[in-house]
Amino acid sequence: VRRVILLLLLAGTPAVGAAQSSQFGVRGLGLPGRSLSVHALATGGSFGLFDPESSLNPAALAGFPALTAVFSGMEDFRHVENPAGTASVRESRFPQMAVGGQIRRYPLALGLGFSNYTSRDFTLATADTVPLRDILIPVHDTVTSKGGLSDLSIGVAYRIQEHWAVGGSFHILTGTNRVSAHRSFADTVYQPTSQNSEISFAGVGVELGMMRSFGPRFAVAAIARSDGRARVDRDSADVSRVDLPYTFGLGLRWQVRPKLTLASQGLFRTWSGANSDLLEQGGTGADNTFEVAFGGEFTPDVRRPARRPLRFGVRYGSLPFPLVIGGQAHEFGLSIGSGVRFAQERAGIDLGVEHVWRAAGPYSERAFLVSVGVTVRP
Amino acid sequence: VGLAAVVGSAAVISACQEKLTSPAECPGLCPGGPQTLFETVLSPLAGLDSSFHTYVAPGQGSALLVSSGLAASEDRAVYRFVTRQDSITVRDTARAYTVDSVLITLNLVARDTLVGGLKVMLFRIPPAVDSTATFESVDPALVDANLIDTIAVPDSVHSGEIKTVLRGSAVDRAAIPPGTGGVLAMGLRVTASAPTGIRVGSLAGGNAATFVSYLTVDVPDTGSVRHQFLSRATEFNTFVTQNRPLPDPTLLTVGGDSSSRSILRFELPAQLRDSATIVRATLELIPAHPLLGLPGDPAVLEAHAVLADLGAKSPIATIASNPLFVVTDTIPDGTTDTLRLEVTRLVKLWQASTDRPPAIFLLLQPEAATFTRAAFGSSNPASPVGPPRLLVTYQLPFPFEIP
Repeated sequence: VRRVILLLLLAGTPAVGAAQSSQFGVRGLGLPGRSLSVHALATGGSFGLFDPESSLNPAALAGFPALTAVFSGMEDFRHVENPAGTASVRESRFPQMAVGGQIRRYPLALGLGFSNYTSRDFTLATADTVPLRDILIPVHDTVTSKGGLSDLSIGVAYRIQEHWAVGGSFHILTGTNRVSAHRSFADTVYQPTSQNSEISFAGVGVELGMMRSFGPRFAVAAIARSDGRARVDRDSADVSRVDLPYTFGLGLRWQVRPKLTLASQGLFRTWSGANSDLLEQGGTGADNTFEVAFGGEFTPDVRRPARRPLRFGVRYGSLPFPLVIGGQAHEFGLSIGSGVRFAQERAGIDLGVEHVWRAAGPYSERAFLVSVGVTVRP
Repeated sequence: VGLAAVVGSAAVISACQEKLTSPAECPGLCPGGPQTLFETVLSPLAGLDSSFHTYVAPGQGSALLVSSGLAASEDRAVYRFVTRQDSITVRDTARAYTVDSVLITLNLVARDTLVGGLKVMLFRIPPAVDSTATFESVDPALVDANLIDTIAVPDSVHSGEIKTVLRGSAVDRAAIPPGTGGVLAMGLRVTASAPTGIRVGSLAGGNAATFVSYLTVDVPDTGSVRHQFLSRATEFNTFVTQNRPLPDPTLLTVGGDSSSRSILRFELPAQLRDSATIVRATLELIPAHPLLGLPGDPAVLEAHAVLADLGAKSPIATIASNPLFVVTDTIPDGTTDTLRLEVTRLVKLWQASTDRPPAIFLLLQPEAATFTRAAFGSSNPASPVGPPRLLVTYQLPFPFEIP
């Protein structure tokens, strides 16, 4: 119990940490989150549709063996390149929390989730000269955004016989971007400016999911989700609406050997529904996205599957909000991870490391995403 | 060990610091677009830019003016000392005394350090001199017959006390005959190798002239009772100006012996008042004529925020109470260039508080104690030069909502 408390304290220490995206999250609503636990992240996301600790598939809640709480943190070490230069940046985020478990005497499971839907955290620095009173004055600008949209979900799963599980969830999409723009002048007779604002978002979504096992070694999962329209306010004044996407996903899981399980999933999101809204507001629009992932979990000791399994995965996908119109970005990731369970499997830690490459034209970045997840079953 | 490693890793990761800033270029990485600046020019409300006069009377400023041939003005200073009684009470008996010597001390506040051979001449003038004195009534008395003494000021002395001591028969030049009221008044004029002027101390400045008499009292004693001194401070001082110029009503006048002030009233456009971020605001004043003063002793033009618009008696921000809302700049002697005052904070004040009128009060320091007298163009159609202008550079709200 002491270890559990210690780990929870450690994980909760940087309480001021904030979500962070990438330079590909500067436009539109930001960089989409993945709603995955560290367990699923370490497999490239390939197990996400089967993972009750993730918030991708409400039917997967049926997989909770008992009341479980999951908390994950991520550190992002990123190297950014664009026509303005290069930079190494580093951020912390807490992209996924979930609580769920079985309801006694019923084939039902209930889950609450808190996921990062999109994150729009960045500080961009630019230098330029502007003509003022017939003189060119050098200026330095920074635009900062912190925040994004969060996905608060409540889901329920119902197990039908042994092999079927279906689920549904309701999502509240809410969040705030605290944005600021600063400008300083090389000629100090011009006073530096600082403007701040809050852009808040509100929307709802619903999701249906299923899982079907074909014997002990093969399973299929699928989801369909609609997120409706998000209302966008600036400092409490209604400014616009943005269509949020439909999401469709399909996953496969295959236990090749007792020690080896492989999985794959594909997700398709209709972000192009937001294209006209974003263009109308002066943005760069949005494109549909897809993501395919493949990964596996190798269990050295089948009698103790939670003892240091080796997880691995690869994924490839596209990002919804181009930096320039028509320049959709893509990302590719390789991941690896493991975990331990202790205290009679009432607590555990999962670790995952993913190396991600993102690129669109002259813009690129590569990042190491180090994730730590803490699982507690009281 | 494994658990310790895991816990250690978690601790290291959890303790990491954020570093978010990365370079960017537009338009790809400029959500909302570049920050755009705008410029506008505001003119004072026509007919509502006015000058007011005589805030500080001559002689009530921090210095007195004395000049000789100076282009800015021709001035004479006047001091009148406190009454010196013609007897001293010693052991309950009023006793006569004789004056052995006299010390007269002046305080040199400023001079043109490039003009050498400065001499300050002290003349006895009628003791009834007061605030009604004029150049025409004082100057004729400044003749050799009334000369008390001449103080040669070394070229190396730029400020500070200058004094003269009268001994022997010279004491008679500062003598106060019995029955004349015991008052000594003197007028000052200067000469130098070139036309010049000086500023000397005054009552308001706390450094007016002093008049000390060293006496021998008619008592059978050889100590301090017999040898005493009487120190007399200045009771009244002023300066008089030849051909005092009357302020031109078509111009905005500040400074001068009339210590004029001017008020400029503007109307801030709604766009600026409501939502703009003021980056720079510059008040431009066009001199109507060369702004003459004492070379090397520039006056200071001050622009004050107006706390309430009550015309000539408007309360204004002061350096002591609201230093952020007072803008100053020196006026070089003889300048004809447009004067520019950075009044950004004042204009921002108009935005921040609707209680603060969009007006600026101009005055010249030291009031009634500088040779400089400035006159600027106004909104009056008869003004020979253009009116003041307020150049405002500003930003509109950044369109954060553009995704």
